[in-house]
Amino acid sequence: MTAALTILRMTIRQVLGLRRFIGLGLLALGPAAIVFLGSARSSSFRATETLAGTTTGVFLNLVIPVITLIMASSVLGSERRDQTLSFIVLRPISRFSIAGAKLAAAFVTAFMLTGLGALALSVVAVIRIEEAGYFAPLLVGTAVATLAYAAIFMPLGYLTERATLIGLAYVFVWENGIVGALEGLAGLSPWRLGLAATVAMAPSDFELAVDEIHSFALGSLQPGAGGSVAKVLVLGAISIAVTGWILRRRDLA
Amino acid sequence: MTDTSTAFNPAIAADATVEATEVSKWFGQKVAVSDVTCSFGPGLTGLLGPNGAGKTTLLRMLCGLMLPSEGTLTIRGRSPRRSVEVYGHLGFVPEEDAVYGALTGREFVEYAAKLTGLGDPAAAAGRAIAIVELQDSADRAIGGYSKGMRQRAKVAAALVHEPDILILDEPLNGTDPIQRAHLIALFRKLAGAGHTVIVSSHVLQEVERMTDRVIAMVDGKLAAAGDIGAIRRAMSDIPYRVLIETDDPRRLGAALVGSDAVFGVAVDAAALRVRTTDLATLGRLISTLAKDLDLRFTRFRPEDESLESVFRYLVRRR
Repeated sequence: MTAALTILRMTIRQVLGLRRFIGLGLLALGPAAIVFLGSARSSSFRATETLAGTTTGVFLNLVIPVITLIMASSVLGSERRDQTLSFIVLRPISRFSIAGAKLAAAFVTAFMLTGLGALALSVVAVIRIEEAGYFAPLLVGTAVATLAYAAIFMPLGYLTERATLIGLAYVFVWENGIVGALEGLAGLSPWRLGLAATVAMAPSDFELAVDEIHSFALGSLQPGAGGSVAKVLVLGAISIAVTGWILRRRDLA
Repeated sequence: MTDTSTAFNPAIAADATVEATEVSKWFGQKVAVSDVTCSFGPGLTGLLGPNGAGKTTLLRMLCGLMLPSEGTLTIRGRSPRRSVEVYGHLGFVPEEDAVYGALTGREFVEYAAKLTGLGDPAAAAGRAIAIVELQDSADRAIGGYSKGMRQRAKVAAALVHEPDILILDEPLNGTDPIQRAHLIALFRKLAGAGHTVIVSSHVLQEVERMTDRVIAMVDGKLAAAGDIGAIRRAMSDIPYRVLIETDDPRRLGAALVGSDAVFGVAVDAAALRVRTTDLATLGRLISTLAKDLDLRFTRFRPEDESLESVFRYLVRRR
């Protein structure tokens, strides 16, 4: 456990450089800026629509995947490519513990940024809608989506140097193309899991606004935080199992 | 197939802690290691061979970083891939600069200590840094280290948990003569204390300074094994081609034909090429003929005495 925590701390330090933090931090704050500027002089209902539209169409389905893709694909991938991975794997630590620590690091580093974006959106909701009830829903939804994307992009980053390209193709082709057209697959879409959690916990106006603007967004998913959290935890466990298996069964250098 | 019997196979160590049995590794069409059986026990063993011989691939398989395409590898009787506990006994220094440039040397070694689960990682790191004499630079970022300093930092990280098996892939690369002498003394000391120390190198003289026991590889195959004297003797049978430049190559060629030390002579306008298995006798003979025939020599140079050509010959002869 101590070794896993050591890997977690070291990976966070490696992945989260100052320039990267500032650049991606600005990206994370972008949706809040859009809502803040876009809902000036709007009614509370219109501001809620702007919040719902931006949260669904920009924050959850674009900003979170991009930030998480960059963070998660580098937690193992960069160590494999600069050949420092041998430093970790040749220690008396289970490969599954290493995978778990790396997934935790991917989640923590990505959520430091995506969570910042969620907090900023919540603050804007207080200012524009005068509603303080968005903090928890947005943070939980963001955490769910971030962990789900981290679970997918961490092994991807290990397996290929083109993780960013493939990850973006996944987001645009799979999530916004195929799953958008086939609503029965919505449960396999990380940002929709996040949205389902957010909608379930947010004030009811938010769900109405989402239905109005992005009626297709949830697809066959029913709003529910518990179900989304459970699904994403299963996804995380699968990711650890797959990555641990790869670390045991493939050449590491 | 390689003879694996301990009595007749110098590639097999008596009290083996690290064993490779009929190991092969290929990458697509390229065979990197071919049917190698060898083992390593307490003491220092040099794994010798030219670049591209398969040494690094073999060491990576021994550590569990690579899976063999065929064969088995064990450390203390267990596969490192299946039993990560063996890493508590193993220290590995890779050939490449596998270091975290942003960390200081001390943080790097402490990180290794923590990953191995040591109770007092700071103290262990301090001891390991002192062993490799890196105290003065320990609090500087590794990114600013010279190649030799990075090598020493890697050795410290490998030693921090006091493993009884140490595998070092070209650890002397980039070190200056003083650092090299110090590291060689360290490896010999560890081997003398009963540790299994495996050091790969492509420089024969470097390995000779460290150990008597050598396993030589070329083209992925075991070329020779045993004490370095035996390998030297095996090398003495190798037919050398020697280039001799003189003012009268034809007269010299005629004089050399018939000598026991010479079994082939080719003459051209300015030089002759002589094939011999006894360089020393040929040298003496040339010296005598120079006086007797009043010849002037401008060059006497063996053309194929590189380690690679020597090992290739040994592989063909096996």
